[in-house]
Amino acid sequence: MADLKITGLHKYYGAVHAVRGIDLEIPAGEFTVLVGQSGCGKSTLLRTIAGLEDADEGTIEIGNEVVNDLAPRERDIAMVFQNYALYPYMTVYDNIAFGLRARKTPKQDIAGKIARAAEMLGIGHLLQRYPRQLSGGQLQRVAIGRAIVRNARLYLFDEPLSNLDAQLRDEMRGEIKRLHQELGKTMIYVTHDQIEAMTMADRIVLLRDGRIEQAGAPLELFEQPVTRYVAGFLGSPSMNFLDATLVAADGGLGVRLADGTVLPLPPARHAALAGYRDRPVTFGVRPDHIGRASPGDTRPGLARYSAVIELLQPTGSRTYGTFRVGSAEVVAELKAHDVSQVNERVELVIDMNRAIVIDPDSEKVL
Amino acid sequence: MAAEGAIRSPRAGDRNFRFTLIAPSIFVLLLIGIFPLIYLLLVSFQGITMIDNDTSFHGLANYRRLFDDARLWESLLHTLIFTAIALPLELLLGLLMAQLFIDHLPGRQVFVALLVLPVLVAPIVSGATWSLMFDNRFGPINQIFGWITGEEMTLLWTISPELVYPAILTAEVWQWTPFMFLLLLAALSAVDKSQLEAASIDGAGYWRTFFRIVLPAIWPVMAVAILIRGLDLFRLFDVVWALTKGGPGTMTETVSIFTYVRGFQQFEISYTSAVALLIIVLLSVAILTALRRVELSR
Repeated sequence: MADLKITGLHKYYGAVHAVRGIDLEIPAGEFTVLVGQSGCGKSTLLRTIAGLEDADEGTIEIGNEVVNDLAPRERDIAMVFQNYALYPYMTVYDNIAFGLRARKTPKQDIAGKIARAAEMLGIGHLLQRYPRQLSGGQLQRVAIGRAIVRNARLYLFDEPLSNLDAQLRDEMRGEIKRLHQELGKTMIYVTHDQIEAMTMADRIVLLRDGRIEQAGAPLELFEQPVTRYVAGFLGSPSMNFLDATLVAADGGLGVRLADGTVLPLPPARHAALAGYRDRPVTFGVRPDHIGRASPGDTRPGLARYSAVIELLQPTGSRTYGTFRVGSAEVVAELKAHDVSQVNERVELVIDMNRAIVIDPDSEKVL
Repeated sequence: MAAEGAIRSPRAGDRNFRFTLIAPSIFVLLLIGIFPLIYLLLVSFQGITMIDNDTSFHGLANYRRLFDDARLWESLLHTLIFTAIALPLELLLGLLMAQLFIDHLPGRQVFVALLVLPVLVAPIVSGATWSLMFDNRFGPINQIFGWITGEEMTLLWTISPELVYPAILTAEVWQWTPFMFLLLLAALSAVDKSQLEAASIDGAGYWRTFFRIVLPAIWPVMAVAILIRGLDLFRLFDVVWALTKGGPGTMTETVSIFTYVRGFQQFEISYTSAVALLIIVLLSVAILTALRRVELSR
């Protein structure tokens, strides 16, 4: 059963068309991440689900009930805000109790629920403090506590970790995911951070310009992106895109790069690409699918490429090496000691099984 | 000073030089600030009136007279009545208007500017204008009431005992509600929107949101507004003077009017000094209590 069903949703801010026809179904208990760059409509979509914004067109159903005309408090949702939005004149306890009291929960139940939530989040010792006395991470925990203490059908998170420093963010990411596993509630999480999206989501909904670009499991989006945008958005460092031409090679097909090198494509791709022969395409390959060639490596689908590494960026376990193909820069994710100095010519292999070919006009992955 | 002293203890000559430099301004401050107060105190122990320039020491005679002066205490009562009615009314109306204007309606700026105009008018001018408005023969108020009721109205707004208070309060509230409105509008605009949204999702209704979230947020500004208006109302003079001059009889005489009449119409200089000192003491106590209450002195 779907906990949330959105059909043909549109939202305008004056002349700005923020949400342009969204259809989305979110099954009960799933952790869905709405991800996209700022201005893609992800926060607007979340706020419309919450009822903080009115939908201009389309319907929103929560638990098979159309909620378009219901006020936020009638929608059975809980929400965590980007800036926490804690009530500054109340103690942590009262902050968490606010929603319960507003819903006329009996006093003894309130105390018990708060105790449980506080224990879950490790904020038991903070209950009598005021928000101004807490650190960013503690504020975030309280904000989450305020949401989970209510037994809502839908939990909404609006970029809850963006105000935290990197280390705390990693920690809270795991914590929210753990909470989701413990509570088993339907959660919708908005972020612009692709790592948050990849690590937390059961399902990613990637938005662009108010539309859904692609929705699916994180690895599905990562491995089978449907457009160039999706391919470039997920993954760090991001995918390399090169202008190329699809040509006949070795009795099959290959891509000819700007410098004339032809990289043969695996036979499995031929059928889908046959119609594009001799046409310009965009060739996409992730940095971790380019590696140093080792003698005797004859796995199928590996294409060799000889390059001069111009820049090395070691990160410890991996080293990013940058080389040029024509005028375009390409990043390869090499092993730490693969290349020892710059301006050295090395033999690389490109895993063509994982590379993608994109129609430059429609930007769709072929 | 302490930090400075740690580096180098100033020599006596240095210190004197500093005092010499600030002495003139201190002198001027004392002259215009403290001297009148001391002189007032001095005069209040004498017996100066219009006809008798008696500067001999009269002890507490003037102060003893204060306690027997029923007209003084009545004027204080009138002042309190004006304050007790006008202040909550201005606060409430100002708040309602501010709530109304917090949403960005078209033409909002123009309306806010128009609404704030009364504050810009000098109180004595607004009083004079209202006395024309309330005129029993050609004032528009009576005319409007006449149209509504369908018969000629000749209500004596500034004369008849049951109408003078409503008339004065109308003028007063008209002039100063915008002041409250402006301050509260600014305070309301500063309330964190996401807190209101969080409350709406939490299931809080309008009143719970207002009392638990909005009111605590705007309270500091509101307290200052109440304090300023409270003090102003305690010194209420112009509007009353323009409309009734404290009449009929002494029915609307405020403590300011009483002091003015005693001091500058009857020239009981020494007695008026005692009255003025009484007011200063009362106001000081009131302000200090209020400040402590709202913890503005933190």
